[in-house]
Amino acid sequence: MSSALTTTLLGVTMNNPVIAASGTFGFGHEYAERFDISRLGGISGKGLTLHGSSGNDGMRVWETPAGLMNSIGLENPGVRRFIKEECPYMRAAGCAVLANLGGHSEADYIAGAELLNEADIDILELNISCPNVKAGGMAFGVLPKSTEAIVKKVKAVTKHPLLVKLSPNAENIVAVAQAAEGAGADGVSLVNSFLGLAIDVAGKKAVFENVYAGLSGPAIMPIALRMVHQVAHAVRIPVVGLGGIATVNDALSFFMAGASAIQVGTITFAQPDAMLTIIDGLERYCLEQGLLNIAEIIGIV
Amino acid sequence: MAVILENQEVGAQCHLVTLRGVTAGHAGQFVMVRIPGTLDPLLGRPITLFDVEGDVTRLLMRSVGRVTAMIKEMQALRELEVEGPYGNGFPLLDSDITLIGGGIGIAPLYLLAKEHRALYPHRRIRIYLGFKEAVILEKPYAAVADEVRVKIGGAITDDIDYSVDDIFYACGPTNMMRVIAQCAKERERKAFVSLENRMACGAGACLGCTQKTASGNKRACKDGPVFPAEEVFYE
Repeated sequence: MSSALTTTLLGVTMNNPVIAASGTFGFGHEYAERFDISRLGGISGKGLTLHGSSGNDGMRVWETPAGLMNSIGLENPGVRRFIKEECPYMRAAGCAVLANLGGHSEADYIAGAELLNEADIDILELNISCPNVKAGGMAFGVLPKSTEAIVKKVKAVTKHPLLVKLSPNAENIVAVAQAAEGAGADGVSLVNSFLGLAIDVAGKKAVFENVYAGLSGPAIMPIALRMVHQVAHAVRIPVVGLGGIATVNDALSFFMAGASAIQVGTITFAQPDAMLTIIDGLERYCLEQGLLNIAEIIGIV
Repeated sequence: MAVILENQEVGAQCHLVTLRGVTAGHAGQFVMVRIPGTLDPLLGRPITLFDVEGDVTRLLMRSVGRVTAMIKEMQALRELEVEGPYGNGFPLLDSDITLIGGGIGIAPLYLLAKEHRALYPHRRIRIYLGFKEAVILEKPYAAVADEVRVKIGGAITDDIDYSVDDIFYACGPTNMMRVIAQCAKERERKAFVSLENRMACGAGACLGCTQKTASGNKRACKDGPVFPAEEVFYE
């Protein structure tokens, strides 16, 4: 472990600032079979809802140029089963543990956050940005007013540091980030996937049953990077950057744009050990540039 | 990184790709095959193991999309990123067996017959292969089975003798597998199907390939791709 990458995020000290993004890493089991997941900075678990969900019907994944559209629909075991069955495993993995909580209603969010107070997690990531279920949270994260209301209520009940995951589909993501900060968020992570549309031309219908679906992957990287840059300049709380990061250069770009840590998602599906390549690359960069810590480049652009 | 040793056209838009550098796996398992050095195409494609012989693995691919079309054009010594093998594979059971493949769904049955023959040499192996336009690879299948029947057009499921006391293994179009599941159930025969659901990761993380089963949601990639037929066709 290199001290050049040691990062403290929302009071949590991590090996490095590279976190597996929610929805792309399960709860860690699958990729633990492929590589040493204790080398990661953290893992954000699959998005949870209070009572769990079996997810969406029909087509769920669809590749686009350098991108991936998904309509999983928050298939998850629910908060109680997460606490009992998954959380101990994630803790034992040896890196920071983030629980990602989505919701169908304000009451669900609050009840989920209260239950998660019993869980041995480091950070609660509040998902107000899932585009794939009718009330999957995105409705809360599109406007500053609704963001402020939900963040305030969850902040009032949670004992964990609160990271609010923002949607790029917000009308004004800077205003939403500021609303989250004003309501007591300890940090913001952005961006979730972009709402897109794929059409099955031969079948003359939408590919996905929900018609619209979330686009992620390298295709969205420059837009995500721009949004991280804008938000990082507009808030004082830490910004966790994500959206299409695939290479160490992408990772460095996010730090330079103002991210204090990054999350890596879709590329893991294509190259399971991509995060290790990024971590090794960041370490090498610090050495080559004579940086004592990667934090020295945060927000230099 | 795996290296292509041979890339052989076998007809019906199919190629048999011989690779070195793939971790050995079993019949019914698959690998995620990706074009190196690019982010577009982004993801690997799940390709079942056609044959494993020492450190050499052969994959049967039909050029239907971008990635398979790109691989089709690749010459020997070109490299591919290969992850896996993933998935559970077929259970090998001490019984006579009937294997039914439709289209590219024939791909996992060659290795299945080979592994079954090696483990239970006295058991009978019958193989039924259904194609839309042209028969491919009939000879190699005949070499690992007691009997091979092929059919072009129509339903291969009409030709099968379900009265034999066999275990049935099927891979191909959903309707074909549904018929096998039904016929096997009516005669109280055991049947397994191998699914080809679209997936992003192949490793069990993305939940893109979720299959509804009699016992709830299962991941085709991780809990499958092979399932007892009555688990998948339960309604």
